[in-house]
Amino acid sequence: MADKRTLLAVIGDEDTATGLLLAGIGQINPSTNEKNFFVYQEGKTTVEQVGEKFDEFTQERKDIAILLINQHVADLIRMKIDAFVDPFPAVLEIPSKDHPYDPEKDSVLKRVKKLFGE
Amino acid sequence: MEGVYFNIDNGFIEGVVRGYRNGLLTSNQYMNLTQCETLEDLRLQLSSTDYGNFLSDVPQESLTTSMVQEAAAEKMYQEFNYIRNQLSGRSKKFMDYITFSYMIDNVALMITGTVHERDKSEILSRCHPLGWFDTLPTLSVATDLESLYDTVLVDTPLAPYFADCFDNANELDDMNIEIIRNKLYKAYLEDFAKFVQNEIEQPAREIMLELLGFEADRRAINISLNSLQSEDVDSELKQQLLPCLGKCYPLVSHMLANSKDFENVRAALNNVYEYRSLLEDDSNLEDHFYRLEMELCRDAFTQQFAISTVWAWMKSKEQEVRNITWIAECIAQNQRERITNYISVY
Amino acid sequence: MSGNREQVFPTRMTLGLMKTKLKGANQGYSLLKRKSEALTKRFRDITRRIDDAKQKMGRVMQTAAFSLAEVSYATGENIGYQVQESVSGQSRFKIRARQENVSGVRLPQFECYIDSQINDFKLTGLGRGGQQVQRAKEIYTKAVETLVELASLQTAFIILDDVIKVTNRRVNAIEHVIIPRTENTIAYINSELDELDREEFYRLKKVQEKKQNETKQLDEEMKLKRLAQEKAEAGTSGTAGAGAGASVENDDKTRNLVSTTEDDVIF
Repeated sequence: MADKRTLLAVIGDEDTATGLLLAGIGQINPSTNEKNFFVYQEGKTTVEQVGEKFDEFTQERKDIAILLINQHVADLIRMKIDAFVDPFPAVLEIPSKDHPYDPEKDSVLKRVKKLFGE
Repeated sequence: MEGVYFNIDNGFIEGVVRGYRNGLLTSNQYMNLTQCETLEDLRLQLSSTDYGNFLSDVPQESLTTSMVQEAAAEKMYQEFNYIRNQLSGRSKKFMDYITFSYMIDNVALMITGTVHERDKSEILSRCHPLGWFDTLPTLSVATDLESLYDTVLVDTPLAPYFADCFDNANELDDMNIEIIRNKLYKAYLEDFAKFVQNEIEQPAREIMLELLGFEADRRAINISLNSLQSEDVDSELKQQLLPCLGKCYPLVSHMLANSKDFENVRAALNNVYEYRSLLEDDSNLEDHFYRLEMELCRDAFTQQFAISTVWAWMKSKEQEVRNITWIAECIAQNQRERITNYISVY
Repeated sequence: MSGNREQVFPTRMTLGLMKTKLKGANQGYSLLKRKSEALTKRFRDITRRIDDAKQKMGRVMQTAAFSLAEVSYATGENIGYQVQESVSGQSRFKIRARQENVSGVRLPQFECYIDSQINDFKLTGLGRGGQQVQRAKEIYTKAVETLVELASLQTAFIILDDVIKVTNRRVNAIEHVIIPRTENTIAYINSELDELDREEFYRLKKVQEKKQNETKQLDEEMKLKRLAQEKAEAGTSGTAGAGAGASVENDDKTRNLVSTTEDDVIF
């Protein structure tokens, strides 16, 4: 089941996306113009758009193994992320330039903490 | 004698520019900036400089480095446009020439967006404000270079620069756009130098030629270094990208074009006194260039009755915006050990 | 007693079945318990590593973001748009999932591999800042490798979490439901069988009693007959043999009856 999943996807601010694309994770389907990255623009992108992209990357597309999402963007759709428990794709919260990483908010780390009763 | 006539048209503006030059941050002020703990402190420090009540309407917690950068750049654009609007005749044309380089960037950006069928308004918002021209939005109609030229670019001042770009590929892809951009830049620098040579009085002519030569050399060295890894750029194509002026031209730039590895480039640069030390140590090539450029600009201010001060001020100001952004970035990302990496010559 | 047991006929065969089942349940319990312990050990290990890796990621991403700041310092412009637009139809950085077997659970292990044929950004920063772009590329590649590693841990965490929950549920089900119920059933069958045994014993006793009575009666009759015979001996001596034969036949029938009942009890 995991064999066909070969891509990383990203939902993040411009700098995060640029950096990850420089590393070479980007792929645009030439015929459908479908991208595996989504640039979140502060003040322009709506929460609904982020939610839609999240659903697209996690449910519709079957070629994504790991979804990277900026933590401050993830905060906007925290409910969705908390509710998403499937192992594939792995949803990974990453810090952005202007928002340092806060382990308290991470959905997975919250689960870790809960399990050990901390 | 030339000073007398210079002041008739340009005396006022030279005064303004020198005023702006005195407003450039000094090394003491930079020292203060590097002591800041937060972006809020930085804003406070900047308020005692020419930046005044810069960004004062932004709440403290939403202050980001990109905002600082945008606001600082915005201030520069305003000053530039003020100067430009005050000038007339040849000096005005000189100012136009300065903006052509931004136009080239914008055209490249528009073509990139067009190739990928991006939303026009989104691309336009990313264009450099100083490189704006009226037909810029219509660029998105073009699908190949020829139609692009025929429908839009022929009316812009950039039209003559396209002469060299039609030879091989008519198809627009990312690779070609970057090549076209650099070809345009080469043509632009050469044209600018010709304009300065023919129409600008001494002593500005001498200073400007030196500054443009430096710009050309910087591009030549950068292109030859950065293209070492890609096989698509052969020495013939490289030759077409390297500007035909500056200290490197013609002998060294020929050597640069034929360089196959880093050592070749270094050997070629050994022939130019000014750039001999560029690749000797491990430190940043770009930093070296910026330092050289700033020193040239500082020296340019020592000469009076010269329109070249505008260029020198413009470049110094751009460097200042970069410096401020850099310091802000270091503060925001907690990388204090690198904070002194800015370049200050005033 | 009958509150928590299986609905079975209390026969010896069922008893045998139940005993096998109990043995199986006990074995399954200890195996699953051991599996769950092994998984939990692994799980704790992974959890600790996730914690570490997340901290590390914070640092790595910061360094990476800074390299991008260097790029914009060197190029003097934002290359973001250019980079986004230069992305081609195939990614350079790809993921391959390998399976790792931990106590029968298959955990995916993401591996990254780089297709060096593909390089979408070779001319980015050609005229200016190319070195910085190159450096940022390298730093971000390393950062993504760290992220991929973390993603493996995280996926393993989610899968293990699930598997451990299921295993523990099974362990608990065996321990608290299946084993007690089977034990109850066995106890029930045993008690029913004992009851049957007692009934049988009582019945046999009754049969024996009846048989003894009958024998006694027959004995009496025979005694009487003998007396009569002795009396008649003086007269005729031929009829006595036939009477004795009939009594033996009658006795045989009673014995047969007993043996069939006994058959029933044994099986």
